[in-house]
Amino acid sequence: MTGDILRILLLLLQLGFVALLYLLLMRFAGSLLKDLRSAEQAQIASRSGIGRLSVLESPEDEPPAGTTIALGPINSIGRNVNNTIYVEDDFVSTNHAMLTFRGRSWFIEDQGSTNGTYVNGHRIERPVALSFGDELTIGRVRMRLDR
Amino acid sequence: MIATNVRRLGLYLMLAFAVVSASIAWWQVLEAPQLATRADNPEVIAARRSLLRGTIFDATGQVLATSQVIDGLSTRTYADPAFTHVIGYSSLRFGSTGIEAAFEDVLVGRTDPNPIRDIVNDVLNRQPEPRDLSLTIDRRLQDFAANELGGDAGAVVALDPISGQILAMVSVPSFDATPISGDPDVAQEPMDALRGNEAEPLLARARQGRYVPGSIMKVFTTAAALDAGVITPDTTFADQPEQETNGFVVDGFPIREHDLGGIAPSLWPLSEALQVSSNIYFAHVGLELGAERFLEYARQFGFCGPMQIGPLDRPLSVAPSYVTAAENGECSAFSGDVELATAAFGQGSVLATPVQMALLAATIAGDGVMPQPYVVRDVRAHTDDGTLSQTVLDEFGSGGTRVISTQAARATRTAMVDAVNGELGRLYAGQADVTLYGIGGQRSAGKTGTAQLGGEQAPHSWFIGFAPAQEGATPQIAVAVLVESGGSGSGRAAPIAGRVMAEYLRLSGG
Amino acid sequence: MRIAWRGAELRLLLPIIVLVPLGFAVTHIALSGMFEPGPMELAIGYVAIIVGAHFLLVAFGHRGDQLLLPAVGAMGAVGIVMLNRLPQDLAGTSALGIELGMAATQLLWFAVGMVAMVAVAVGLRDDGILRHYKYSWAAIGILLLAATVVFGYEVNGARLWIDLGPVSVQPGEILKIVLVIFIAAYLAETRTLLTSARLRIGPISVPPLPYFLPMLALFGIVMLIVVRLNDLGTALLFFGTFLIMLFVATGRRSYVLIGLVLFAAGFYVAYQLFGHVQARVDVWLDPFADPLGAGFQPVRALYAFGRGGVFGEGLGQGLVTLGGNLTIPFVHTDFIFTAVAEELGLLGAFALLGFAAVLVFRGLRIAALARDDFSGLLAVGLTASLGLQTLIIIGGNTKLIPLTGITLPFVSYGGSSILASSIMVGLLLSISHRTAVGADVEPEA
Repeated sequence: MTGDILRILLLLLQLGFVALLYLLLMRFAGSLLKDLRSAEQAQIASRSGIGRLSVLESPEDEPPAGTTIALGPINSIGRNVNNTIYVEDDFVSTNHAMLTFRGRSWFIEDQGSTNGTYVNGHRIERPVALSFGDELTIGRVRMRLDR
Repeated sequence: MIATNVRRLGLYLMLAFAVVSASIAWWQVLEAPQLATRADNPEVIAARRSLLRGTIFDATGQVLATSQVIDGLSTRTYADPAFTHVIGYSSLRFGSTGIEAAFEDVLVGRTDPNPIRDIVNDVLNRQPEPRDLSLTIDRRLQDFAANELGGDAGAVVALDPISGQILAMVSVPSFDATPISGDPDVAQEPMDALRGNEAEPLLARARQGRYVPGSIMKVFTTAAALDAGVITPDTTFADQPEQETNGFVVDGFPIREHDLGGIAPSLWPLSEALQVSSNIYFAHVGLELGAERFLEYARQFGFCGPMQIGPLDRPLSVAPSYVTAAENGECSAFSGDVELATAAFGQGSVLATPVQMALLAATIAGDGVMPQPYVVRDVRAHTDDGTLSQTVLDEFGSGGTRVISTQAARATRTAMVDAVNGELGRLYAGQADVTLYGIGGQRSAGKTGTAQLGGEQAPHSWFIGFAPAQEGATPQIAVAVLVESGGSGSGRAAPIAGRVMAEYLRLSGG
Repeated sequence: MRIAWRGAELRLLLPIIVLVPLGFAVTHIALSGMFEPGPMELAIGYVAIIVGAHFLLVAFGHRGDQLLLPAVGAMGAVGIVMLNRLPQDLAGTSALGIELGMAATQLLWFAVGMVAMVAVAVGLRDDGILRHYKYSWAAIGILLLAATVVFGYEVNGARLWIDLGPVSVQPGEILKIVLVIFIAAYLAETRTLLTSARLRIGPISVPPLPYFLPMLALFGIVMLIVVRLNDLGTALLFFGTFLIMLFVATGRRSYVLIGLVLFAAGFYVAYQLFGHVQARVDVWLDPFADPLGAGFQPVRALYAFGRGGVFGEGLGQGLVTLGGNLTIPFVHTDFIFTAVAEELGLLGAFALLGFAAVLVFRGLRIAALARDDFSGLLAVGLTASLGLQTLIIIGGNTKLIPLTGITLPFVSYGGSSILASSIMVGLLLSISHRTAVGADVEPEA
């Protein structure tokens, strides 16, 4: 019978060991979630700032369609990876356009691109002020300026 | 840029982790039960290595297999090689077979027949207690049947047609399993000798051997056609007498009669046709029955799929029997009327195990109910002194399935009694007298088979039957006897079957 | 330097302080049948090493990621408990007249590894030495590889070891780090070219050939390893890590696809040419075909998984030996995960995999937050290497992919493996430290 008691105690200790493993795993999960939440808050804070671009259509999927890009005050758009907003599309020039926030409103300016920059379907010749909800077409990529 | 791609990478890696997790769960949860029972599992080997196995007794309490543990090594001793193909072996080197494999966990006590005690033992990791088994087979009948076969390769299967208890199941040649069930370090040599033996002693012919059945299949054709109402005992076929000499042309292929032993053809009804074993008559019956019904009845009788000898939760497997070409373990459709007509008299593509044919006889004997055969009668507490304990822990039994009507079975039985005892039957069977010796007034029923194999090979000698079979008697034993290349059914198999049945009735005091 | 209290890290380390002694006690009770804790020196030693590493980081004012060390500590904890449970004569050292068993030797290496980790984490103030001398690193890597080919000796069919007097080392482990550094530096520099410059061949666009050369050179190295060293696991690990870094650098799935096609082609050629590759694939497809010969190890591993079930057989209660022989050969290195799964069950196996996942996803987070491309790519490469290694060996254990002889980081027995993995985590810590410091110096707009 002492053998049985020993086995029961062993079983309990063993369960304790596994339980401890999961306690640790829970704590990890908690820490990961906390970091994730603070990162999200940081993102929300940056969103409440000046604006973002929603990608509506993107044949080469870079930037991926359906995603949003948080905007800084000055954003270069083009097919070179060193641009703030890198666009993968054959109809986009290396340095295609400049999207800037000046004072209270957004401006878009073509950088001498081959195929031009379009706002709501119209090709622009000089810097144009944008409103939220305006649609930008750069090459085959369509994006919308959102708050 | 990089951050976006890293996020995508994160998703892919998460997927990879999920797949790996699933693969772990696959083996630890889903496959674990299958893995646990495989004979080369080190857990199984380790368990067997030091654990005492229970004793296996015959139906009367005679010891058939015992274990002893010497220096932490558990070895198994078998009393009777006639049982090897039933009990199997339990080798530390080669794993287990037969009942030893099917009842592995019960014999070493890892599974308690009482489920609550089983859980408690498992949780407490208690040292298992071995259990004993007793079989439905009486060692005296088993040895008698083995002696009857003598040196010829073959099989005898006998069962109680009502209860389904296996009364004898002999496969010859057999071997002594003791040398390969002892010290694993010296077990290789005897095993190699067995594997290299051309007589194939490792093959359990009764369960795993598949043979052309020949004329004993006519019992099936008769029973199916009677049940379907295609024929009555009085049915005759007008063309049959002429076709006996000139052949019966089916789809341009002439089916010829075998040597009738000098009996003149005439317009035979069922009983006479069975007595002389007319191929032409049964070809007609088969065609009347039709391919679809033929297959349907075959399945009902256990053909065309896996078969097992119970208890069903720990079965001994029986190779499937087929009436047409096998296809994925099933019977394919008949290729045409020729295949159907020849199958009706047991040639064509028909291949059957002795167990299957014994079940056919048992079904007729049981008035149309096919019993579920089983060979382990009960599980008992282990005793150290080799006596049968009175403590029964688990008892097995089984039911049956109705396959054909009582009337059809009775009519088939009458024809089978005539086939053994009738005037033509005795004339056809020649010198062999398969009426039961030494038991006054008892009659047997049966059918011989001489399975043509083509070429130079001598035919397989078959007999299926049961006894007692006279009007009013309840059959107590159904039997199938096969002698590989033993010549005519009446010459070799029938006398063995007769003597085995008589011996059983004598032993059981009937 | 300022002391930086690492509260989250310490909080996560607390369960480990209990975990290891508890594991040792359970093992001792199960093996001896006596209700007593048994010897605790190694357990206390392990806890001291991990907690010591924590306080060293605190003392040096390190502000890097606080989940990496606990994740390493948790994996190592499961490892040391398991290694302490296995027969101690499987491995060990005898130097200076002192005989050390397997677990003790592992502990020694853990101490060395943690010191190396802290040294790299706090010592590497800027990454110039890594970035600017990339060709030197590549040269060191090639030399190491060459040394293995020339001086190496075989263990278990693969020539991976170099004998250096008292200790044997596996240069492949160090080579792993060197290669990741080189590739990160190379890709950080040429990433623009690789993404923008293009050459069209039919429907696929490929960058001009010159930019492909390092990739082809690497492919050659990998194949060399496969052929010369018979080390499929390391080859797969290197190539997988490289492809992941290429994907992150360029964002192009097509590169990964091309790489995979190349690898498949190379593998097919190897399959056709080399008997040992063929044999290994055949064993993978059906290990039960020859359960006592070629399939012995994988089959025994699968049985061990089955024995473990959901809850495990219990520490010290698994079937480690049978008739005096190991039920699974190389259980302490290649099959340590299987041993964990057997004794701790699916629950324990998932927990261990969870710790590895924490390590990997923290590594990716460090990469995503990194301040420059080189740091980001380096973090990706280190993380990918650790993660892939974990997935490859566990997948090999469970017959998901062919079995290859590589270690499970921080869990398997082996000094080279622990040292290399520790240095990699040290590099990740140093990258995250620079990110944290940088965020303070230049607050984001």
